[in-house]
Amino acid sequence: MNKPPKVLVLIPCYNEQDNIVRVVERLQTTCPWADYLVINDCSTDHSADLLRSHGYNFIDLPVNLGIGGGIQCGYLYSVQHGYDITVQMDGDGQHDPAYLSTVVEPVAVGKLDMCIGSRFITHEGFQTSFMRRVGIRFLSGLIHLLCGRKVLDVTSGFRATNAGMTAFFARHYATDYPEPEAILAASLAGFRVGEAPVVMHERLGGVSSISAVKSVYYMLKVSLSLIIDRLAISRHRARKWK
Amino acid sequence: MPVSFQLYMLLGALALLVIIFIFLKKGLLTVKYSLLWLGLSIVLVIFAACPYVVFVLRDLLDIQMPVNLVFLLMFCFVLVVLLSLSIAITQLAEKCKRLTQQNALLERRVRELEHRLPPE
Repeated sequence: MNKPPKVLVLIPCYNEQDNIVRVVERLQTTCPWADYLVINDCSTDHSADLLRSHGYNFIDLPVNLGIGGGIQCGYLYSVQHGYDITVQMDGDGQHDPAYLSTVVEPVAVGKLDMCIGSRFITHEGFQTSFMRRVGIRFLSGLIHLLCGRKVLDVTSGFRATNAGMTAFFARHYATDYPEPEAILAASLAGFRVGEAPVVMHERLGGVSSISAVKSVYYMLKVSLSLIIDRLAISRHRARKWK
Repeated sequence: MPVSFQLYMLLGALALLVIIFIFLKKGLLTVKYSLLWLGLSIVLVIFAACPYVVFVLRDLLDIQMPVNLVFLLMFCFVLVVLLSLSIAITQLAEKCKRLTQQNALLERRVRELEHRLPPE
């Protein structure tokens, strides 16, 4: 590749007033070659004011869509502006921009259509709680069973997609808790999905969107969605979506 | 079945039919969603006008009490209506999501264009 690819970083932001400025500043200093877009999902705190006063590039969803609808909006933006690679990176400081190039690289050289930043390859850094690791391992096994693709960190929201994959997601993306479903849908549609080792941090401030009570609901909903997706998306039909 | 009871049933079924037509006329209900309700009220009118139909159906399905057949049919109907409403909500949610996304993208574009305008 002669020309360096145009990279867009999508930063979903829901009530992240404690983190969002730090995250954007750090991204700009670490990776000045990447454009970014903050997606404010109708935050109820001062996130929107902060984004406006700092003059960041952001979109302001008029109603709360959840992470799925918000990120899909970012993918639409990416398609409209013709980016080669789109990276999703959480707005809570868990994902380190220092690893941006690690995640982008396999997609940039054309080895993968979607590359997921995984904390379970080198087992370094923040590894999340035991129960969550059990849940993630279960979902990983389920996805392996349903489409034959082995992905370790299925819930990681640190992922790079090329233009084709981005256009696919702009059209079809799950509404809530979309990360595992996106892997399955992409694999069934014949996209190449893989992982790259990254180190994640514990969130800097604020609270995670998934509380302990919601975890059971999360597991049930995601497992069922995956099975339904597998039944609904025949490999043939998914290819036609492309 | 006493004749007066049959009369009340008939009046009730006809009232439902008239109410649905009034809603349609006022635009409170679209034809798409009124079809199920129209179907129900017409069936009710038939049942009330000639209960013979219910007795025949009862014999066909081998149900002891004719009223149980009516309850069963009503229950099935309610299930169908609820399912169709869930489908309608899902479709509306998808449309709403798309509108929200496009609106947000347009808002950003307007903001950017305003920024580029020379100050008055």
